[in-house]
Amino acid sequence: MVVTARTRLVNPRLGTYFAIFAAAFTALVLMALMLEQLDVADVILRAAMFAVPLALYAGIGVCAPAWEPGDFFACGRRVPAFFNGLVLGVAALGGAGFLAFTGAMLMSGFDGLCLGIGVYAGLVFMAVLFAPYLRKFGAYTLPSYLGRRFANGTLRIVAAAVLSAPVLLLLIAEVRFAAYAGARLTGWPESLAAVVAVAAVAGMLSAGGMRAMTWSSSAKAIAAVLALAVPATIVAVMLFNLPLPQMTQGNILRIIARIEITRGVPIVIAPPLAFDLPGTELGEIPKRYLQAFGSVGSLGFMFMMFLTAAGISASPVLLPRAGTTPGVYEARKSLGWAVLVAGIVVLTLSADAVFLRSILVGQVLHQPADQLPAWFRELEAVGAAQITPGTDVVALNNIMFQRDAALFALPVAAGLPQVLVYLALAGALAATLAALAAALMAISAMLAEDVVHGLADDVAGSRARVTVARLAVPGAALVALWLAFAIPADPLQLFLWAVTLSAAASFPVLFLSIWWKRLNAWGAMAALCTGLGVTAFVALLSETGAISLPSALAGVVGLPCAFLAAGIVTHLTPAPAANLLELAMDLRVPGGETLYDREVRLQRLKGRAPV
Amino acid sequence: MIEGEERKAYWLHTKWQMMASLLPFVVALIVLPLYADALNVKRVLGSPLGFFLTCHGLFLIAFTTVAMFVNRQDAIDHWHGAHEDF
Repeated sequence: MVVTARTRLVNPRLGTYFAIFAAAFTALVLMALMLEQLDVADVILRAAMFAVPLALYAGIGVCAPAWEPGDFFACGRRVPAFFNGLVLGVAALGGAGFLAFTGAMLMSGFDGLCLGIGVYAGLVFMAVLFAPYLRKFGAYTLPSYLGRRFANGTLRIVAAAVLSAPVLLLLIAEVRFAAYAGARLTGWPESLAAVVAVAAVAGMLSAGGMRAMTWSSSAKAIAAVLALAVPATIVAVMLFNLPLPQMTQGNILRIIARIEITRGVPIVIAPPLAFDLPGTELGEIPKRYLQAFGSVGSLGFMFMMFLTAAGISASPVLLPRAGTTPGVYEARKSLGWAVLVAGIVVLTLSADAVFLRSILVGQVLHQPADQLPAWFRELEAVGAAQITPGTDVVALNNIMFQRDAALFALPVAAGLPQVLVYLALAGALAATLAALAAALMAISAMLAEDVVHGLADDVAGSRARVTVARLAVPGAALVALWLAFAIPADPLQLFLWAVTLSAAASFPVLFLSIWWKRLNAWGAMAALCTGLGVTAFVALLSETGAISLPSALAGVVGLPCAFLAAGIVTHLTPAPAANLLELAMDLRVPGGETLYDREVRLQRLKGRAPV
Repeated sequence: MIEGEERKAYWLHTKWQMMASLLPFVVALIVLPLYADALNVKRVLGSPLGFFLTCHGLFLIAFTTVAMFVNRQDAIDHWHGAHEDF
């Protein structure tokens, strides 16, 4: 057998290619800054900041086509740990992290941290509990993994049906965030911005699947991190002469706390289960920044943090990325990079929120309503902020802010050039598109591999599998676009529902399938259905007002029920066959051939098409 | 590929490593936010301690947890001969 060193699989020029991309992106921003000084029309600057990066992402994707299933669904298992981690870290945050988390931090202060912490804690859980084992297995989707792990086609179909719910919710949420960022950036209607963004992502995915997504999303992640870092660093230098926004926010916090105390901002104490983060509309700033558990209760904070962690760690959107690395060791290492990237982004977003809050309390709080600074009037003009009508002297709860506007409001408030406002929006759009591409790829792969091919004994060859997946991408994109505008829900709420459903439906079955070899197909099916069913039922009760538990926390009921159902049903049904126990034990050992690849190779030797 | 008793020993070692990695992290996730308000009266690097520990501290603990896990689990793989072949 020919053995290829893992390092030989990785393209050694990747660093050069992405350095060229970073240089091109930086050149675009510098060029736009110069054009702004030359009084070039604003509409041209906006179009350039929207279209040029989008064309670069799509171009990178189209230049990475895939013809074989291994390339289309797993990027040929050639993605280095750093790039995999970079994409994972940014895609895990997505628009919900860049836009909604920043706004939640601005308005709810400390309480918003439950989302950011949950995301990188989820990546830690993924590194320890799931990623190495799913890489060893090598299946392209989670339903495919479950179907093969328990040798049960029905389970595969059930898993595809159950897990498509959180994936679809996440996809819709990211389409809505992309529409918001795109519309703010271009000035177009949200529907048009969404159609253009989704078409660019779908076209690229259709051509190259996971391969196109990986390299295009690497570029998006670099752009998102650069676009986030530049305005935050400039503001940190302006305030502290230190270009480290993550480390300078602490001093400002003390100033904010002092001003809020002297201005008599009240201390609000929320009930333990409260979960009241700001919505999409203009909302009041409810509480002191530093005070814990004023909008989100202590139990609500804990539940949301752990549900986000469980949902992210077992996400059907993110976990298939583990299969793209050259080996198990790289899969683990890539999660280390992912935690680093996501953590630094969370700290920077938090610093953005602190800086903006500081400018707000310093320049707007306690001012006469008719003598507000020009930048606040500018934000009012675009509907991002407002003072409660009839206010004479501004108190904290008279300041109304649009949650998702916080990221681009900072450069406006700091008086930075308009191009840096567009840069912040372009960065948010890039992160949103990375998450959108991951969700669209996951649902298309599930549709093609598990629904179309899942039940057939003799599955078509490589070309048919890739063709079906190519067709599934635009189909799923059209459905997502339609649903995004048919469902008038807050995208953060959709993201939280996706996370809570993923935590309750996906986490228990994945955990038990790796760490408890006695689990059988019936138990796995029971866990999936109970997790989804109970969580959806509790969320429904919550939305109708029948119970006081917030619907975003419904997973705290569904998750233990799913574990319980799996245990009971498994003990009431026959133990797994010896070959499945052997498979479970093979899965736990990093050495040896990837299990899915071994199965495909053996079937080819027998003259059968890969299942 | 390792076989028989060595597999059991390897998996036992891996399970302990999983718990040793996650338990302290989970405890920190629970304890630090709950005591943030009480700790905010003290300062570290100019920042209120409770907020600093929840915002920066948990991130540092998360990254250290993963880094140590990757390092130790790789050592366990090599110790039991369960590492990848190439």
